[in-house]
Amino acid sequence: MTVLFGTLGWRPQSLAPSIRSTEGLDGVVFYHSDHAKSRGARAKVVELCRALGVAVTPVELGDAFDLLEIAERIRADVRRAKATGAVLRFNIAGGTRLMSSAALLVCILEGIPATYVHDETLREVPLPLLRITYGERLTPKQREVLAFLLENREKPHTETSLAKALGVHKATMNHHIRELEAKGAIARVRDPEDARALLVRPTPGMELLVG
Amino acid sequence: MLPALRLMPYDRLVLLAGRAALRSAGFRRLRAIEPGLRAVPVDPFDFLDCLSTARAAFRDALRTGDTVRASVSGGTKVLADATILAAFQEGVEAWYCDPDPIRLPVLRGVRIEDALSPADRVVARLLSRSLGSEDLVRLGRERGMPRSTVLASLHALRDLGLASVRLESGKAVVAPTPALAAYRAHLARSGGKA
Repeated sequence: MTVLFGTLGWRPQSLAPSIRSTEGLDGVVFYHSDHAKSRGARAKVVELCRALGVAVTPVELGDAFDLLEIAERIRADVRRAKATGAVLRFNIAGGTRLMSSAALLVCILEGIPATYVHDETLREVPLPLLRITYGERLTPKQREVLAFLLENREKPHTETSLAKALGVHKATMNHHIRELEAKGAIARVRDPEDARALLVRPTPGMELLVG
Repeated sequence: MLPALRLMPYDRLVLLAGRAALRSAGFRRLRAIEPGLRAVPVDPFDFLDCLSTARAAFRDALRTGDTVRASVSGGTKVLADATILAAFQEGVEAWYCDPDPIRLPVLRGVRIEDALSPADRVVARLLSRSLGSEDLVRLGRERGMPRSTVLASLHALRDLGLASVRLESGKAVVAPTPALAAYRAHLARSGGKA
């Protein structure tokens, strides 16, 4: 079973070549915005899929400009489809910049072969993309610190409170925090209630990378 | 790109743009503000050209040891997407500033090459055509790799979608996938090896 995912903007031509060229295509899932022109393009893609006898699931996004929300949504759908044993493909050519960037991010994280469609020639371009497992690029302790911060993100954390919570020495925690900060996984920001203290926070979207 | 210039402090500015944009009045104004600006021309509608050019520009900047950030707020969508992919491949932070800054989740310093071990890269190079798995093992052994290492790397490449394995007359035949061909061509364009 092969399922094609896609992002769609105003031009059905950006997705149609992949629908026609994917061998043994069983289903198409595509994301579009609530813009009238995007809905118009949706109707044409649905019509094409029906003509080809392919199941189609259009997904209208509430906010086509919220990269992290879109990426989370797409990733959940991709993981569900993967769990069925389906072979997945992704066409990231259409939609807002943030939609196709979110799709690109999910393809990298999940190792989904992705294609782009040239605007003028409508030729499909396979993207040189490899799955990168970011979680494996952190040490077990760094992963533990990051996971703790993500699970308890509503609470403010200092290096000292983190050291206490995770049962390590303050100096050891400082080392992990510096390493995570150097990788851009966390940020240290001034505590608005105590100018001397620095709060440790995960950077936006980190749950996507290590989740 | 003006919001990005205001929001992201920098010491050096490198601008990737189409040739038409580099002839525009907007670019001349930017050059007047930033005389040290380095302009890198790309075909803004050719994804692979944008990708390899962005990747090379990131590598040049990273070689100096400086922190590198990419703003993908301007240019065509093709250029922005390709630059994001290049940023992921080179472990470079990427930002949208339109007008609020959004940081894309990238782990700095984690590069596409990290997805393959040195042994995986050797096996990927050996896998230039369809061949029997035992022939692949033999080629690996000629390069000093034990059988178990060659097979482990083959599994890794298959998991990454870079190799396929099928049975033919009771023998395992391994072949490169189109993804491996695309990856290899891309690295060749960017000066890497696979």
